[in-house]
Amino acid sequence: MISRIYHHNFQRLPLILVGIAALYLSGCDQAQPVTYQIPKEQRADTIPPMAAATTSETSPPSKMNVLPGMQQAANAAGEVNFTTPEGWEKLAASGIRKANLKVTANTGSAEITILTFPGDVGGRLANINRWRGQVGLEAATAEDLPDFTTGYAISGHRGLYVRLEGQTQSILGALLPFHGSTWFVKMLGDTPTVLANEAAMKQFLDSIQLEDHAH
Amino acid sequence: MKVLLQFFASLRLTVVLLALSMVLIFFGTLAQVETGIWKTQKDYFESVLAIWAYPEAWIAYDQLYWLRIPMPGGYLLGGMLLINLVAAHVTRFTLNAKKAGIFLIHIGLILLLISELLTDVLSEESQMPVDEGASSNYSQEYRDNELVLIDRMHADFDTVHSIPIALLKSGKTVAVPESPLTIRTVSYYPNAQIGRAQEGAAPVESPANQGVAVKMNVVVTPTAVTYAENQINTATAYVEVLGPEGSLGIWLVSNVIDDRFPPQMVTLGEQSWEIALRLKRHYYPFAVELVDFSHEKYPGTEIPFNYSSEVMVRHSDTSKNQKALIYMNHPLRYEGLTFYQASFANDDRTSIFQVVRNPGWILPYVSVLLMGVGMLVQFGMHFFKFLKKRATV
Repeated sequence: MISRIYHHNFQRLPLILVGIAALYLSGCDQAQPVTYQIPKEQRADTIPPMAAATTSETSPPSKMNVLPGMQQAANAAGEVNFTTPEGWEKLAASGIRKANLKVTANTGSAEITILTFPGDVGGRLANINRWRGQVGLEAATAEDLPDFTTGYAISGHRGLYVRLEGQTQSILGALLPFHGSTWFVKMLGDTPTVLANEAAMKQFLDSIQLEDHAH
Repeated sequence: MKVLLQFFASLRLTVVLLALSMVLIFFGTLAQVETGIWKTQKDYFESVLAIWAYPEAWIAYDQLYWLRIPMPGGYLLGGMLLINLVAAHVTRFTLNAKKAGIFLIHIGLILLLISELLTDVLSEESQMPVDEGASSNYSQEYRDNELVLIDRMHADFDTVHSIPIALLKSGKTVAVPESPLTIRTVSYYPNAQIGRAQEGAAPVESPANQGVAVKMNVVVTPTAVTYAENQINTATAYVEVLGPEGSLGIWLVSNVIDDRFPPQMVTLGEQSWEIALRLKRHYYPFAVELVDFSHEKYPGTEIPFNYSSEVMVRHSDTSKNQKALIYMNHPLRYEGLTFYQASFANDDRTSIFQVVRNPGWILPYVSVLLMGVGMLVQFGMHFFKFLKKRATV
């Protein structure tokens, strides 16, 4: 009787093995293209920040291409507070600009912006040369930097004040490395207006307070 | 044949297999530091053979970089253990009252091994982020992508044509089912840097003549695939769409080119399709609405105490509508799916659920129950025998 049970069970074993093998192989089917219907979707009608900047009336168009992730990084960065100097007009912060102001005089106009990016965005020299290009100046080398930059304290941290005088346009600005990201404050506009507002720009920089979780 | 059966049923084999399992787990744990949990699971445990390589980060790498240790993988060991246990039962064990406990334990163990294989083969995990006040009727994969062409011309519904990424092999064509289109893959990159041309980068020359690549001058620099848990691979491809009469254009598609960008459109006469590459979606006949997400912290601290999402599930068959509260260790089981509170974002305004479809989810519970009962029976019998012996002395 024992041998009969033995044979009966023995026959089942290969079957069990085949069953297990079949289970394993069933997971290995080649994926195929499919077509299916879904309820009507509202495509997220968020206009990309680039387009928003060009259609808004209050903020002048941004000449920068906003790449994926930039808007999110700007949103995630901390808040910035400042005092608007006398005679400057505060505009709506939009897109990736954390602040946007404007000053107009009979000599021309200038626009002031505050932006922030994670990391060092290519480094100090690259950014200053980018600004130099914007006002028609040639690229500088690291040795030239002290001619138009000085250390400057912003929001209790050490930054760099940059003074770039071009033929028709000039930039007064500051770069501030801040806990893993870099903040850019820039006044760009017609040279007479920009230079006339240098004291106001320094007042503006002194009034900037960045949200600081690190200290 | 008898010799073979005796080999598979031997206890010595069990000991060897268990020892090899310990070795596998040890090296798998070491490997996980380098390659992350997902890849290690695939390499070591969902495989027949695993090969451990001397890690770059260890000392003496310069002398030992060549060191490779092969070992049986999870499927081989698990499969052999299963065969070993079943064979042992067939040859050695006879079912009688005295052995009932052991039988139950072993059946529970067999069931557990089988359920692990079933889970590997059958289960699907995806994630569903939902904003507070909004609802979602789909979930998306963590790693797998799809190329989609979406026809939004019909007034009542959208038609999605989905092509798995696995079919996007350079130079190969795939017919898009139920449409006049064919896709020819120019190139596919599992991970890449996408952006404007920069100095120092080595972008691929763009064959694209339509869409975002042309309008925004976007270039692609391929990079290595990442297995880190919190990073998404930017799957990218240049695809050519062909109509019945020839090429309609070449587009750059990528899973970072998403809803923030204007849709890339393929036009053929009166018809048009939105083309995109995105994390693979599973659509459901119901929508999960996030009524409220709450994130409680221990008073006076930033340490989280509880995350919970109050949801309302609305099914197309309204009799299946359901309200639920999802929080840690309290998932929602609905329509064969399980929704776990996984994560949150956007300053507590978005809740992210892990959606798991695992038809065999109950098997581990059943097997543990069987093993527990078996142990009670077995030890209980021994215990009472012991008591009886003591009583007679």
